[in-house]
Amino acid sequence: MSWSLNEIEGLARKATRGAGLSWGLAEDAGRATRWLCAMGLPAADELANVLTEIDGVAYTEIAPQSFDNPWRAPGGTLCPLVAGACLTDMAGALADGEPITLGRTAHPLLLYPYLAAAADMTGTSLALEWDGTTITRADATSFLDSDGPDTPVTEKVRAGIAGAPTGRPARRAWRGEISADTAQILQGLAHRTYAPETEQSRLAGAGAGLTDND
Amino acid sequence: MTTPIPPRDPRTVMRLARMGSLHQCRLSFMRTLLRRLQSQHWRFETQAFEIDAKGVGHAVYTAHGPDHSYSLVAFAHDLPPDMRSDRVIATAWDATFTLFDGVPTKTDIARLRDNVPKQEAGRVSDRELSLSRANRSVRLWDHVVDSLAAGHQPDEAKVRDVGYLMRTTAVYGSGKFGAADREQSAHRDECRGPFQVEMLSVYLTRAFVMDLVEHVARMRAPDTAVPLDPALRRKFGIGNSTGLGMAPFLMTHPVLINHWMAAREEAIARVRSLPSATQDEADAFRAYAARARLHAEDWSSDHPVQIAKLADLRSDMAHLAGHLDTADLTGNQPWNRLWRWAEDNCSLEGQEQVASLLLEPYGDLVDGLSSCMYANEQEVMRIDGAMPVSDLRALTRDIYAWALAIDWDQRDSQARVWYVSEAKLEPRVGERFEEPIEPYEQPLCPGRDAARMYADLRDFPDGPVAGFLLKHPEHRHVVRRAQVAGQFPYAEIRDNTIDAGMMPIDLLRAKLSFFGACHFDPRSDRWLRINMFQHAPYPAELASGNADDWTYPYLRKAAE
Repeated sequence: MSWSLNEIEGLARKATRGAGLSWGLAEDAGRATRWLCAMGLPAADELANVLTEIDGVAYTEIAPQSFDNPWRAPGGTLCPLVAGACLTDMAGALADGEPITLGRTAHPLLLYPYLAAAADMTGTSLALEWDGTTITRADATSFLDSDGPDTPVTEKVRAGIAGAPTGRPARRAWRGEISADTAQILQGLAHRTYAPETEQSRLAGAGAGLTDND
Repeated sequence: MTTPIPPRDPRTVMRLARMGSLHQCRLSFMRTLLRRLQSQHWRFETQAFEIDAKGVGHAVYTAHGPDHSYSLVAFAHDLPPDMRSDRVIATAWDATFTLFDGVPTKTDIARLRDNVPKQEAGRVSDRELSLSRANRSVRLWDHVVDSLAAGHQPDEAKVRDVGYLMRTTAVYGSGKFGAADREQSAHRDECRGPFQVEMLSVYLTRAFVMDLVEHVARMRAPDTAVPLDPALRRKFGIGNSTGLGMAPFLMTHPVLINHWMAAREEAIARVRSLPSATQDEADAFRAYAARARLHAEDWSSDHPVQIAKLADLRSDMAHLAGHLDTADLTGNQPWNRLWRWAEDNCSLEGQEQVASLLLEPYGDLVDGLSSCMYANEQEVMRIDGAMPVSDLRALTRDIYAWALAIDWDQRDSQARVWYVSEAKLEPRVGERFEEPIEPYEQPLCPGRDAARMYADLRDFPDGPVAGFLLKHPEHRHVVRRAQVAGQFPYAEIRDNTIDAGMMPIDLLRAKLSFFGACHFDPRSDRWLRINMFQHAPYPAELASGNADDWTYPYLRKAAE
């Protein structure tokens, strides 16, 4: 089904929160998913996969232990939503020419919106590379040199100053196609953020009790 | 030489009590829209009006601009009275609408007929820019149809009491229920300003509703029915019932809210800074003040809080009239002196009414600020991870001093919880200590969250904020807010949004005043009714009508 980008962002934010990450990380995950969908990439599928994997896992297991290269997660695999936010937070270092390497990371494609944000914030061309895939952000344009960037897991990712962009510039998409399966996973996680209705909330929550039929 | 007056301090402006006393002004979105439609000579046509004697069918109203056309597609229904609930929780309505991007084909209409009447339960596409619905005000609708069918005009007092024939209960925009995202059309001049699409849909809805009531009267009594007198017709606005669904917007769009508030504050400061005023400008202000007084007299509410505020406002406006009888409005920074007088002598309702009135004679000076009221929110919400922790500490003390002074262990300080209900997927406010809702709390309490963040920040070793965020992901959302508020002074509400005494209607009114709404009528502390476009010219009258100067009722002398 065709989803608006606003719907995708909202669903991604709530699903990320529902899977246990903080609201601030969930806000960034919503924007990242929207942004990647607007490149025509399968961001919602990637998000559904990563959230299924981290569901119930403690933050400290999936976050970088420190900012020393290479970043590693105590639990073994970095979550791209957490590591991605860290990449944006380290934009200054990246722009200063200090590359960052990540050890084992799930769904590295999801790192890209965060890296692109770092590039745009600092006005620097930055690239993300793993397993022969390179995505470059230069002058507010993304260049992708792979047809299948949705790698489930990789042992090494490098982020740093970009060389000359390779591959094709990304097209701008205005909608996202989300499969029924992916939507079901994300909606299930998002549903955890909704409070079950009680008699009290039904009566008081919206300030009902006064008719509006006159 | 006179000194320019700076915009007001956000610590004064961004308080809930004051935000809940805001009034529409020249920068309000309805007024921006009508000024544009007139100056660009927009053309309007009714492409279809296929509605039967029972009031069932559809209509298409198209607005043609210089580069694009937009069509309100309206579906009229025969709603059994027991299904008529204005609340967002309803499932059927008297009329349902969408604003179509362009001119719809028969195939589009068929698709929309299958979806638009279902509202949230249906699905629209990226050809649609908004989705909305409205119910009749039964008390006035029947009276108007009966009167017109019998060949006479309705009772003017009844028209004044209600002010509209239909009330919209939700106007969904950008990307909702499958509609086009705002950025798909935001590059067009007419769509760039905030809520211009939604305001156009409401403006055309008002025209449709008035045509519909005349049509129903004519179908009932073809031999005797008369149309509404044009002057009386303009006294009908279009109503709206708004609830909590709108409230979080003020917290989730801090940059946009900053731009709205900053534009209005800059406009007020520009007028206050004027060293002198002409006699014409002074006379114009006096006339607007007299009209605003009429507006305050016409405004009614049954809610005890608003009744008290209206008593204050009417007394303020009477006091202002007395002051204006003798005040010199021409020399020695007259508007700054008048503002100072209002601060010393008026309630918050009266002060903010005066602030909005100050802009009225000065379109040339302030209207251009409406182009500063939109934001690209994707880019400005990024965190600056290189900021030193010590700077974030100082920033927090600056922006959230009021929150750091609150005792958050007091029950009243965090009595409320903002949450989303499973049943309706709508924002709600509940009682933290009485309902099992805390696990579902939304991040809509920046003050408390800033205080929590500051507690962890106080002893955190110096270094970039990135390190603090890695250790404390739970503070990430409020670090972002603090940084945004550091750049944009009016981004953050400087009040406790989960206090036991917090009134969500203050949030609603702040937003609705920027739309240009009038006659705020709270029905509880968390939903209210308003009137929109009352006294405005209809599309067919716009070319020669008064596109901007309609928001206050005309003085009776001038109207005669």
